[in-house]
Amino acid sequence: MNSNYEIVVGLEVHAELSTETKIFCGCKNEFGAEVNTNVCPVCMGLPGTLPVLNEQVVEYAIKMGHAMNCTINGTTKHDRKNYFYPDLPKSYQISQFDIPLCENGYLDVLVGDEVKRIGVTRIHIEEDAGKLIHDDSLGGSLADYNRCGVPLIEIVSEPDIRSADEAKAYLDTIHTTLLYLGISDAKMQEGSVRCDVNVSVRPVGSTEFGTRVEMKNVNSFSAAHRAINYEAARQIKVLENGGEIVQETRRWDDVKGVNVLLRSKEDAQDYRYFPDPDLLTFTVSDEKIAEIKASIPELPVAKTMRYMSEHGLSRADSELLALNKNTAAFFEAVVATGKCEPKSVSNWILGDIYKVLNERKCEITDLALTPANLAEMISLIEKKTISNAAGKTVLEIILNEDKDPNEIVKEKGLAQVSDTGALNAIVEKVLANNEKAVADFKNGKTNVVGFLVGQCMKESRGKGNPAMLKDMVVAAIEKM
Amino acid sequence: MDKLYSLTAGQMKDLLDKREVTAVEITKSVIENIERTDKEIQAYITYNFDQALQQAAGADEKRAKGEQLGELAGIPVALKDNMCTKNLRTTAGSKILGNFVPPYNATVVEKLLADGAVIIGKTTCDEFAMGSSGENSAFQVARNPWDTTRVPGGSSSGSAATVAASQVPLALGSDTGGSIRQPACLTGIVGMKPTYGAVSRYGLIAYGSSLDQIGPMARTVDDTAMLFKAICGRDKMDATSKDYTYTPYGDSVKGMKLGLPKEYFGEGISAEVKEKIYAAVETLKEQGAEIVEVSLPSTDYALSAYYIIACAEASSNLGRFDGVKYGFTGSDRSSLENLYVSSRSEGFGEEVQRRILLGTYVLSSGFYDAYYKKAKMLQKVIRKEFEDALKLCDAIITPLNPTTAFKIGEKSDDPVAMWAGDICTVTLNIAGLPGINVPCGFDSNNMPVGFQVLGRKFSESTLLTIAKCYENTVGGFAVKEF
Amino acid sequence: MEIDIMRLAKLAKLSIPEDKVEEFRSKMESIIQMVENLPDDLDTTGSLVDPDDTMELRKDEVQPSFPRNEMLRNAPYTAAGCILIPKVVD
Repeated sequence: MNSNYEIVVGLEVHAELSTETKIFCGCKNEFGAEVNTNVCPVCMGLPGTLPVLNEQVVEYAIKMGHAMNCTINGTTKHDRKNYFYPDLPKSYQISQFDIPLCENGYLDVLVGDEVKRIGVTRIHIEEDAGKLIHDDSLGGSLADYNRCGVPLIEIVSEPDIRSADEAKAYLDTIHTTLLYLGISDAKMQEGSVRCDVNVSVRPVGSTEFGTRVEMKNVNSFSAAHRAINYEAARQIKVLENGGEIVQETRRWDDVKGVNVLLRSKEDAQDYRYFPDPDLLTFTVSDEKIAEIKASIPELPVAKTMRYMSEHGLSRADSELLALNKNTAAFFEAVVATGKCEPKSVSNWILGDIYKVLNERKCEITDLALTPANLAEMISLIEKKTISNAAGKTVLEIILNEDKDPNEIVKEKGLAQVSDTGALNAIVEKVLANNEKAVADFKNGKTNVVGFLVGQCMKESRGKGNPAMLKDMVVAAIEKM
Repeated sequence: MDKLYSLTAGQMKDLLDKREVTAVEITKSVIENIERTDKEIQAYITYNFDQALQQAAGADEKRAKGEQLGELAGIPVALKDNMCTKNLRTTAGSKILGNFVPPYNATVVEKLLADGAVIIGKTTCDEFAMGSSGENSAFQVARNPWDTTRVPGGSSSGSAATVAASQVPLALGSDTGGSIRQPACLTGIVGMKPTYGAVSRYGLIAYGSSLDQIGPMARTVDDTAMLFKAICGRDKMDATSKDYTYTPYGDSVKGMKLGLPKEYFGEGISAEVKEKIYAAVETLKEQGAEIVEVSLPSTDYALSAYYIIACAEASSNLGRFDGVKYGFTGSDRSSLENLYVSSRSEGFGEEVQRRILLGTYVLSSGFYDAYYKKAKMLQKVIRKEFEDALKLCDAIITPLNPTTAFKIGEKSDDPVAMWAGDICTVTLNIAGLPGINVPCGFDSNNMPVGFQVLGRKFSESTLLTIAKCYENTVGGFAVKEF
Repeated sequence: MEIDIMRLAKLAKLSIPEDKVEEFRSKMESIIQMVENLPDDLDTTGSLVDPDDTMELRKDEVQPSFPRNEMLRNAPYTAAGCILIPKVVD
C-alpha cells in the first residue's frame, strides 16, 4: 500500500436477529426451510395486509444499542423505503429513516495491542427481503419469500476505520457481541450477517474526506478485508495517475478478487422515505430501556482487557478465552473457586480442553466437565499432589463424567510420591543405569538432567514429584 | 312473503326471530331481485350467490337448533370489492386485480361471517377507491337508482347503489376522503365513516392507509348502527386499530349543542343544498338542540393536505402491483423492468396512474418537505382546530357534498373539478374523526341531498343519536322503489 | 412550474404513451397547482412521531404459515415452488 495515502472506511452491517418469528407477522424466522413455506399474506405483502411489530425485535436491537454505547430513542417510528425489486414483495422495505432506535454510540475494538474506538452512527430495525435463485434452465429467476420479514438490525459506523485490519477487528467484535447477547446466530455462511463497505482514500495529513465508493456483495469478514485493500489500491492508483474518484456503487467479486461498477451516482435511487402509516409511533419506557441495559453481560473486549490486567494473561490468551461466551463463563467460574492460578486455568482450557472441543465440534457447556472439578484437578497439580501428566489422566475422566478428582487420584493411585526415602532409591537406581549421562553432566552438559528426571518419572510410573526428583538428581551427582 | 328483499335489516331480523321467514327465503328473494335489477344498477362486480345460500342455510340450521346467533344471522350484506374475501375474487375495481382470489378474509369479513351474516357479493367501486363518481371502475359504472343516467357517487358506488335500490339492506363501504358518506348522500341513504381505528383495516386493499376506514351503509339509522356494531373493535392484525366498545345511542337531541362552521357554507356549495341543510338544522333546533357557530379556519387547505397525504401513501401502497406475484401481468416479459412497466401501465387506469404520479412527486427527493411533510404538519393543525371546535359543541353539522348527483360523464375529464367536490368530506379523514350522512330531502331534479354530522373521536353513538332524532322527526327517509 | 413527468413515471414504473405525455403533464400541473394551496407559515422542522398516538407491539409467538399452493395460486408464473420472474442480474 502506498504510504502517502490514508484509507478511510465506514461499514454498514446487517445482522438477522434470532427471534422466534418474523418482524411483522407470526411466520417462523428459520433458515433453510423448504422454499415458500414460511410465508403468509403479511410477509408476502398481499393486498390488504398489515404489519404488526414484534416486541422481541425492539428489545434485541436495544441490547445491541447498549452494547455499542448508543443513545436509545425510546419514541420512534418506522418508515417505508420505496423501490422495486422482485425480492421485495410490497415494493417497499419497512425500515427506519430519521429516528433510528439507537444512535450516537461507539465500539472499542482491539487492533494489535491497541484499543481503537470506532463511532457508531446508528442502529435501526428493518425487514429482510426474500431470495432470488437464478436458474438458466428456466430462462428466469425464482423468488423464494421465506426470508421476507426476517428481522434485521443495520449498524452504521462512522468513517473512523483506517485500515482493513481495523475493519476486520470491528466486524469480529460485532460478531462476538451478537453472539454474547444471544440476539443473532451471526452465521456468515447463512448470510445472517452481511456488510456494505464504504471506502475512500486521502493524502496522509489531510482532514477532508475523499470521495467514497460503496461496495456491495461483501459476504464475509475476510472478504471485507480483501475488498477494502483492493478498493483502496484501486483508488490510489487512479489518483496517482492524475484521475478522480467518482462516487459510485461497485460490486465485490470475492472469487476473482476484483470489484466492478454496479451503478453510478446518477442512477442513485430516490427511495422516497416516509413514515409507514400502517405502524404508529412506538415507545419503550425509560424503565424498560434501563432494564435491558442491566441485562447486558460484560462484553468480549472488556473481558479481554480485564483478563490481561486482573489475571496477567497475555492479550492473545485473553482474547481467545473471551471470544466465546461459554468458554469465558467457564474460565471465570473456575477462577472464582480461588483454588488455582488463573494462568494455569487458561493454559488447561486453551490447551487440552480446546483440543477436545475442536475434535468434538462442541461448546464447553456440552461437556460433563464442571468448573469445580477442573479447579480441583488443577489445584491438585499446584499442591503437587499429582503431576502434570497425572492431571491429564484425571482430565480425560472428568471431561466425560462428573467425578471428584480426589477420588480418581485415590482409585487410580495417581498421587505423587514425595517421600524422600522412596525417591532416593529410584534416583540411585537411575544414576547407576545411566553412567554415560552422569559423565556428560559432570563434563558440563547439564541439560541431560531433564533426561535423567524423565527416567526417574518413568521408574516411578509417573507418580514421582518431578521438582523433588530434579533436585535430588543434581545433589546425588554432585556428591559423586 | 312479498318483496322480502326490500325489508330493512331490523325488519328481517324480527321476522327471522319470530320464525316467520327463513334466511334462505330472504336470500333467495334478494338474489332474484338482484338478477332482475342489476343489469341496470350495475352494483356488483362479483356475485356470491351459491355461497350466500349456503351461509343462509347455515344460519337457519343454527337457529333451528337453538344455537347462539349473532345479530346479523341470516341477513344479507354486500361488500365493497376492496375487502379481501377468501376464495372469492377481489378486484378493488381494477384490471390489475381482475383475477385476484385472496387466500384470506379481511377482519370485517371474518366478523360478519362469525355473526352469521350472508355475503351477497362484491360491489362496484372506483379503481382502488380513487374517485367520487364511480366512473373510475375498470369494470362498469354503477348507477344512481334515483336517476340511472346519474352517478351514485364514489368510491363506494355499488355499495350505495345496491342499498339505495333495496337490493340488500346492508353494505360495507370504505372511506378515505368521503367514499362512504358522499355516495350515501348522492343516493339518499345513511353512511357512516367511523373514527380512524374504530374498525380494523386488515384485509382492506389500501388506498391512503392513514385515512382509510371501513364503515356501514344502510337505509335507516338503526340498520347502520347494527352493521357498525358487528364490525367495530380492536384487531390484533391492525396496529392502528383501537380498543373500542360500541355504546348504544338514543333519539333525542334535547340540550345538545350543534356547531355550524361558517367555512363549510361558502360559495362552492349550491344554494339548493344549503337551503335543505339549513332546514334540517332548523328541525334539529325544534327538537331541542342548541345551534352554535364554530370556526375551522384551515378548511380551505384541507383538500391539498388530503390529496398529498392520500396520494403519497397510495403511490407506495400500489407499488406491490407489479405483475409478478398476483393479478394482471403485463404483455412484455422481455426484462424485469419491462414486466413492471407493462403490467402497471396496462393494469392501472388513468386516474390511478395520475394519483401514483402525484404521490411519487410529493415524496421525491427535494419535494418531501414542501409537500408531504407540510401536509402532515397541516394535519396536526386541522386536528387541533376540530378538537377546539368540538369543545364548544357536541357535534358539528355541515353540507356533505356541494351538489347533488351529476350526470355520468359530466366531470370525468376534469380531475381538478372532480377532486374539488371532496371539500366537505376530506377534513374528517384528515382529522381521523367520525362522520355520518343523513338524508334531508331532494333537490329540484328530485335527487337526494344529505347533511353531515361529525363529532369527537369515538363519538359514533352521538352521531347516531342525532341522525336517529332527525329520522324520527321527518318520519323516515324516502326509499326508491326499483 | 415544469414537472419532469418522465422521471416520475420512471420512478413509479409507469410508461406514458408519447401522445399522452402533454395531456398528463398539463393535468398534473393543474393538480399540483391545486395541492400547492398550503399555508406559508407552517413550521416543518419537527419530526413526524406522535407520542400521543402509539401502537401495541406483538408477542414473539409463532402463528401457522399459509400453505404454499394457496400463497402462489395467484402468481402468473411459478416453478419449483417459487414465483418465476424474468432473469435478474444483481
